[in-house]
Amino acid sequence: MSNRPYSYYVEDKALNVSQRPRKFLEAFAAVLNHSNYGLALDAYARLTAKCGRCAIDCQLYQITGADEDIPCHRSELLLQVYRRYFTQSGVWKARFIDNFTLTDEYIDRMAEAYYRCTACRRCKASCPWGIDHGLITHLARWLLAEVGIIPKALVVSVRHQLEGVGNTSAIPANALKDTCEFLEEDFGDIYGAKIKFPIDVEGAEYVFFPAVSDYLLEPDTLMGNAAVMALTGGSWTIGTKNFDGIDYGLFYSDRMFERIVKNLVAEVRRLKGKKILIGECGHATRSAWFVPTFCGPDAPRVINFLEYTYQALIDGKLPLKGKLIDDRVTYHDPCNIARDGRIIEQPREILKAICKNFIEMTPNRTENYCCGGGGGTVSIDEIREFRTKSMGKRKADQIRATGAKIVISPCANCKKQLREVCEDNGLEGVAVMGLHDLLLKALDYSSLPQVEKKDDDLDATVKLNEKKGK
Amino acid sequence: MEAWLAWAKGPFFLFSISFMILGLIRHAVLTIWGISRAVHLAGDKSISYKKIAVASLKWLIPVGALKNRVVYGVTTLTYHISIIITPVFLGAHIELLRRGLGVSWPAIPNRLADTLTAIAIVTALALIIERASAKDSRHLSRFQDYAIPFVIAIPFASGLLAAHPSINLFSYEATMFIHVMSANLVFILIPITKLSHMVLLPTTQIISEVAWHFPLDVGSKVGAVLGKENEPI
Repeated sequence: MSNRPYSYYVEDKALNVSQRPRKFLEAFAAVLNHSNYGLALDAYARLTAKCGRCAIDCQLYQITGADEDIPCHRSELLLQVYRRYFTQSGVWKARFIDNFTLTDEYIDRMAEAYYRCTACRRCKASCPWGIDHGLITHLARWLLAEVGIIPKALVVSVRHQLEGVGNTSAIPANALKDTCEFLEEDFGDIYGAKIKFPIDVEGAEYVFFPAVSDYLLEPDTLMGNAAVMALTGGSWTIGTKNFDGIDYGLFYSDRMFERIVKNLVAEVRRLKGKKILIGECGHATRSAWFVPTFCGPDAPRVINFLEYTYQALIDGKLPLKGKLIDDRVTYHDPCNIARDGRIIEQPREILKAICKNFIEMTPNRTENYCCGGGGGTVSIDEIREFRTKSMGKRKADQIRATGAKIVISPCANCKKQLREVCEDNGLEGVAVMGLHDLLLKALDYSSLPQVEKKDDDLDATVKLNEKKGK
Repeated sequence: MEAWLAWAKGPFFLFSISFMILGLIRHAVLTIWGISRAVHLAGDKSISYKKIAVASLKWLIPVGALKNRVVYGVTTLTYHISIIITPVFLGAHIELLRRGLGVSWPAIPNRLADTLTAIAIVTALALIIERASAKDSRHLSRFQDYAIPFVIAIPFASGLLAAHPSINLFSYEATMFIHVMSANLVFILIPITKLSHMVLLPTTQIISEVAWHFPLDVGSKVGAVLGKENEPI
């Protein structure tokens, strides 16, 4: 058997799992016993009207037109298992007329279907019942994981985080410290002012968890974060035991999801910090919003960096040089922070304060289209064509229609995906970046301690890589 | 036929209406109990009920929510209005109720009732045709999705005929028998099919929200049951 029975790679050990239907049903029973999913499944299984409204709003179905990409069709795969094995009527029906049986083939069908959905939850708003197909995808992926079916890219990251160095990019603490020093130097060289990345400071107001990949790929985002903190006098720190906000457990297993969220809280408590500050990352933010779910109501509060910066802006604590950004700028709403309407206006207000030519995509806010790489699929390189051409086509059309030169997206996963979407859909002149990357260019640093300015034009990413190469 | 009609209007009607009412009460009680239990177990009990109420109302009064598939949306809305208003506010039904239980309320004019009945029949058929003609809904549809609007249309069509003998080719008793029996069938179907949304609709948005509010330690507990607490990733 090939190690790629699905569109994505799985680990070899996943191919040797025996008795998968039995194990799937055992996991399903355990989950139903200990979670609140049963309530939703029961209502959905009873009420689903099969009206097809969800199909209209699904960006994948809009492109493929394939029946299997209708959200309601996909959810029915799991609901059929639920009805047959976990409802009295299903058990009785099976004795007389229904011949549905969970098989290996059926599990493989689900394995393919539930990773064609990014769980963006756009279709929930178009369902008269409010059926949350994203919830079904989330649950189905967990059950699939319990029989070993997990995209290799996701499980390897989680292994690094929970059993390895402690973060998904396998960055050792010393390398983190070096990177932070590089960033402080770079900032001085480019902007002529001093900022600090505080490490392991006890008692800080905020303990900072960006997507750890930002330390490798997004220096401007991090410098923007640190600059805002320096200018506003924010009390913050980065912990060396855990400095990764990424939580791929959200994408495939509540068991992993819970462990990773609890690790965030453990680091805040180790450092005697007060709040969790999440960097520019959609899924990291949504995962952290589950802190009270997994750790109870007394757990630290969670703030996204956009909320912090927005508050500083409206409090008049953010010194801006004005609307310095001439290029046309648009904003992509990451599903994980925008779908429920939690972070929508804050980034727009910041952008409007610094951009001369800000333009909205249509649709936007809670009705936005997913970047096409949500639900962890952005990390699965082997499905890039599916992600950028099928899933990402609508987003490419949206960006093209704005005529923007810069797309802002405050999410590590969205940024990677959008860059690939632009590359694969003929949008070469479009730059994709984080919000703090742009803000960095519009802040007034005169109130900070000054240093000698060098290398005005040198790109921070290039510099960081050059220094690491030395 | 008269004896059959008396049976349909008497004992079988009582059975059907009781089955519907008790079935819907059961659904409502179990659902509300399920939601309360889920919230009680949830680690995070902060739930935005206002947002849920807004989402529910959006679909109870779906103006603005019909921008996609406008024809289907307008058909559905018109259908619901006509099938709810006509039987509840028909003068003849109210008179029966007044005689039986001594309660009554204002009726709509018979002309309006006729118009709404015609709309109910036409929109029921339109729903079936639209479901069959749209690729996405056709693929999803089960037998019951076509059968239910058809079954619901029967009491309306037979009621219209019974009220207008001049256009009725059948005997009054036979027409009334079909009218009452098909209505009884609808009553029985309500709690055991998707028609139960008539009481459950206000709860589905809250269920979708509450399901994301996991009980404390759900992952650890499931891991323990499956014997995977110490299993390497």
